[in-house]
Parts: sequence; structure tokens; C-alpha cells
Amino acid sequence: MNVNVYLRLTYRNLRANLDPISLFFELIFPVFFIFGQGPALSGSVAPIDIGGGKLISYALFLAAGAVTLTVINSGTNAGTQLWYDRKNGMFEQVLMGPFTRAQYLLSIVFATLMIGIASSLLVFALALPVLGGGVAMGAEGIALTGISLFFGTLFFGGLALALSVALRSSETFQIVSQFAFFIFLFTSTIFFPANNAPEIIKAISLLNPLTYATDIFRAGLFGSSTPFLSVEIVALAAEAVAMFFVAVLSFRRIRL
Amino acid sequence: MALQGESAGQAIAVDGLTKVFGDKRAVDGISFEVERAEVFGFLGPNGAGKTTTIKMLTTLLPPSSGRARLLGFDLRTEGRKIRERIGVVQQQDSFDQGLSAETSMDVYGLIWDVPRAERRRRIDELVDQFGMGEFRKKPTIDLSAGQRRRLQVAREFIHDMDLLFLDEPTVGLDPIARRGVLDFLKVKVKEGLTIFFTTHLLDEAEYLCDRIAVINQGKVVEVDTPANLKRRFGSAKAVEFRFDVKEPAPLLQGLQAMEGVSKASLDQPTGTFRVSTMRPEKVIPEIYRFADRESLEVSSIYVAETTLEDAFISLVREDDSAKVRGE
Repeated sequence: MNVNVYLRLTYRNLRANLDPISLFFELIFPVFFIFGQGPALSGSVAPIDIGGGKLISYALFLAAGAVTLTVINSGTNAGTQLWYDRKNGMFEQVLMGPFTRAQYLLSIVFATLMIGIASSLLVFALALPVLGGGVAMGAEGIALTGISLFFGTLFFGGLALALSVALRSSETFQIVSQFAFFIFLFTSTIFFPANNAPEIIKAISLLNPLTYATDIFRAGLFGSSTPFLSVEIVALAAEAVAMFFVAVLSFRRIRL
Repeated sequence: MALQGESAGQAIAVDGLTKVFGDKRAVDGISFEVERAEVFGFLGPNGAGKTTTIKMLTTLLPPSSGRARLLGFDLRTEGRKIRERIGVVQQQDSFDQGLSAETSMDVYGLIWDVPRAERRRRIDELVDQFGMGEFRKKPTIDLSAGQRRRLQVAREFIHDMDLLFLDEPTVGLDPIARRGVLDFLKVKVKEGLTIFFTTHLLDEAEYLCDRIAVINQGKVVEVDTPANLKRRFGSAKAVEFRFDVKEPAPLLQGLQAMEGVSKASLDQPTGTFRVSTMRPEKVIPEIYRFADRESLEVSSIYVAETTLEDAFISLVREDDSAKVRGE
């Protein structure tokens, strides 16, 4: 594997296709939940059991959820990178250079993971004043949060790539991806625990990778655990890998 | 394995290359060779198969059948090696919208693994050569179509290559920029670069190309030098003349309707009319009679050399007619 090729292509993706203003607003979004909605509703929402009898305030619950929210935003960037390259003729241009399709695709995935991890760390740092003493992370916690962010970003990056292949118009891509991510967001456990939700939403949330990513992240962050944690890790990894293969298959079918 | 007729001095050797989309044969068994350090023109009407051929030769599209070797490498099995030694300026725009003109050249050089110091040197040289000084710091998204086109051609020279594919590279360029690009290409060819060139501007093909292949409906119908194509197929002559009149444009319709004239055009800035005809000796008296009827003076008139455009049109029409007749 020629590492140098991946570094060069990943650097190009980060420089050429990422809009700093969009990235800024992607960070503003979770920050609003951490410092706005969380503290505002904390008084009216009872402490939440996140597993193993561990109760945390709604402000803490939402702040942790807001960090995993970055995996959706970062995932969207993967689709945007491919979409801009196709629109601006750079997709073909790069593929007529000394690169393979796999190298090009993986460079987008790497760029997306880098953005995802950097954004999560930044949001996590911003959320620290709210999270405060609630954080109880050991080596296992770091591993769990890493798993959550890695596979969460991989899943949503794969989904965004597949959508950007299928949808050639800018408007359609934006609307469909926002709608899809909206559904994922509101049927996940980012805002509220699933066991309090209506049955239909609860059922959907049990298949939702964002639910797994959020639950695993909270477990890692607060040192809590549920009997389903290992199942959720396996399910998230399986869904992320499956979605990545869907993206690869869609990508291979792009007409030039 | 070498193709039939392939020699070590050839940059491209194509044998029976075909591309089928559904039931349409976009490229239909074409064969030709391109020598090293040659400018090879690939001309044809819209939809003739030029861009599809380029996409196959640059490994973007797999051929349905046939074979090709580029720079000694097999198209089917050594695509990566081919791509390491070629450059491509696509017909469509290609640019990094988040970068300035200069940075986009730098990042493009970086992905081609050109060392940083060399990139800096080449960027300065290309900015100067392509007259991009005034917009080198401007975001590519804000450039005019002509500026973006100049950048796209210049950017390709940031990396080394032996063979360059140019698919209508001068679209949108003003005549001065166009001539600048063509002269730059001529210098590069003298230094050993091979160019595979498509254009609809036949005067620039004549200016630049050593040999030209004409493709029509997916088939190569002729390969020859521009001079030979004109001699063999340019039976029509052009008569160029001017009238002493302030508003020449309204006269064009009358000239077009003149017996023996296949095409009439007007060069607005100079007021020079140009009519194509097989029989200039018949048409010239007609032009004087026309001037008499319109109470005009003919201020200059001469028979111009046959153009490559005349030869191209005649060749393509002849091929179309032959296909209709089922030959």
C-alpha cells in the first residue's frame, strides 16, 4: 500500500472540497445543544438512567449526545467531497492521473474520518465545562468512545457517498441527505432515551446506528454499561461496514 | 505484446478499438498510430466519438473490444503505468472550487508528487506563460470561463508527461490567449511531448497538427497531413472580397443565394465576405453583377487557398453520403 498516495489525496480532499464556513456551522449546531437546549431543559427533565443504575442530568445526557452528532455532520462531508468533484470535473481528472478508484474513495473516507475525529474532539473540549465531573473515562472508555466515533463516521460517510452517487442535482442531494439525517437524528437516543419514546420510534431507534453510536459513546464517557452494550458495538460495526460496501458498490457504478 | 504495425517510436498504437453503449457503437473499430513528438489531430463532428476515444485511451472507460498500446504499455492491463506518463485536459471544466488559481496548481502538483520547490518554480513559469498574473490569487470559482480554461491547460504542465490529451483546450479563449496556448504547445512538442488533440476550430488544427484523423459516426475515415487533406478533399475554393459599404451584413443573404455558392460568411471586424464555391471563375463575375445591382463598388477580391474546414466538410459529407448509400 503506497501510503504517500493516500496522504496526498487526503490532503487534497481536505484543502479543496471543504468549506470552512460550513464546517464552522457544523460545530455551532452541537454547541447550541450543549450550552442552550441542555441547560435550559435540565430543570424540567428528570435525571436519566443510562445503564447500570447510573443517573445523569439531562444537560450531561444531551452534551454527550451532541458530541456524537458530529459523526452525522462529518459523514455529510464525505458525500459533499465526491459531489463537488463530480460537479467540477475533478473526479474524472483525478482518475486520469496515477491513482486507482479505490485510492480515491479511501482518501475521501480518510479525510472524513479525520474531520469526524477532529470535530468530535473539539466539541468534546467545548462540552467539558458542562460534562465536568460527570466524565469517568478509563482505557475502556477511551476505546468505546473511539469505536463509537469511528464506526459512526464510517456509516454516515458511506451513506452520504452512496447518496451523492445517486443524486446528481445539488438541490436533490441537499434535501434528500438532510431529510435522511433528520430521520436518523430524531429516531436516535441523542435527545431522549428510546424507552420513553412511542413504540414506533422505539422500534426504529433499535435499528438506528446513531442510537448505537450515542449509547456506546455515553457508556465510554460516563463509565456506564448495559447488557446490550456489546450487542450494540457489534451491530454498529456491522451496519458501518455494510454501508461502506454499499458506498463502494455505488461508487463502482459511477458512469464516466 | 506489440500490436500489428507498432514500432518503438510510436506513442499510441490503436487496433480495432470499439466502444458500445447499449445498441450504439460510439466508437467502431478504429485503428491508427501516433508517432512520438507528433501533434495528432482527432477531428470529427459532434457525437462522432472523439471524447469517447479519449476516455478509452486515458483508461477512464474500458473498451468493448480492440486493443491499444500507449507509450509501450497495454491499455487493458497497464492502465496505471499509462496514467503515470500522460496528461489530460478534458473538454469539460475541471477545477477545485475551494482554492485559488495558484493553490489549485500547487495542490494538483502535490497529488502528482512534484517536489515543493519544483512546484513553486513551475507555477511561476506557467503563470507567466499563460498570462495568469492578474488572477493567480483569485478563487477558481470566481474566474471567467476563459481564465478557468487557461488555468486548466496550464495546470496540466505542473507535472511531467510524455503524452498529452487535449480535448478542445481552447474553447472560451480569446484569439490572443488561444495563439499563446498553441505556441506554448509547439514549444513543448519540440522538447519531445506528443499531443493528441481534438478541436472544432480547424484553423488551429491546421496551425498545430502534424497529422489529422477524421472520425465520423465512430469510424476513422481518413488520416493524413493537413496539406494532403486539403489537396485531396478541399475541392471548394474560397473567394474573399469587400464592398465599399458601411453596413455589409444585410448583403449576406443575397450572396448566399448566389448560384454556385455553397457557403457565404462575413468577417464583421474587417467587412470581408468569404464565399465557398467549386467554380470561382463563374462566381466572381456574379459578385460584380451583384455589386452593380446593389450600386456598390468591389474594393478588393481574390481567390483564397482551400481551407482545412472546406476539406473537412467535404470529407464528412462524402462519408455520410456513402453510409446512406450503404457503401
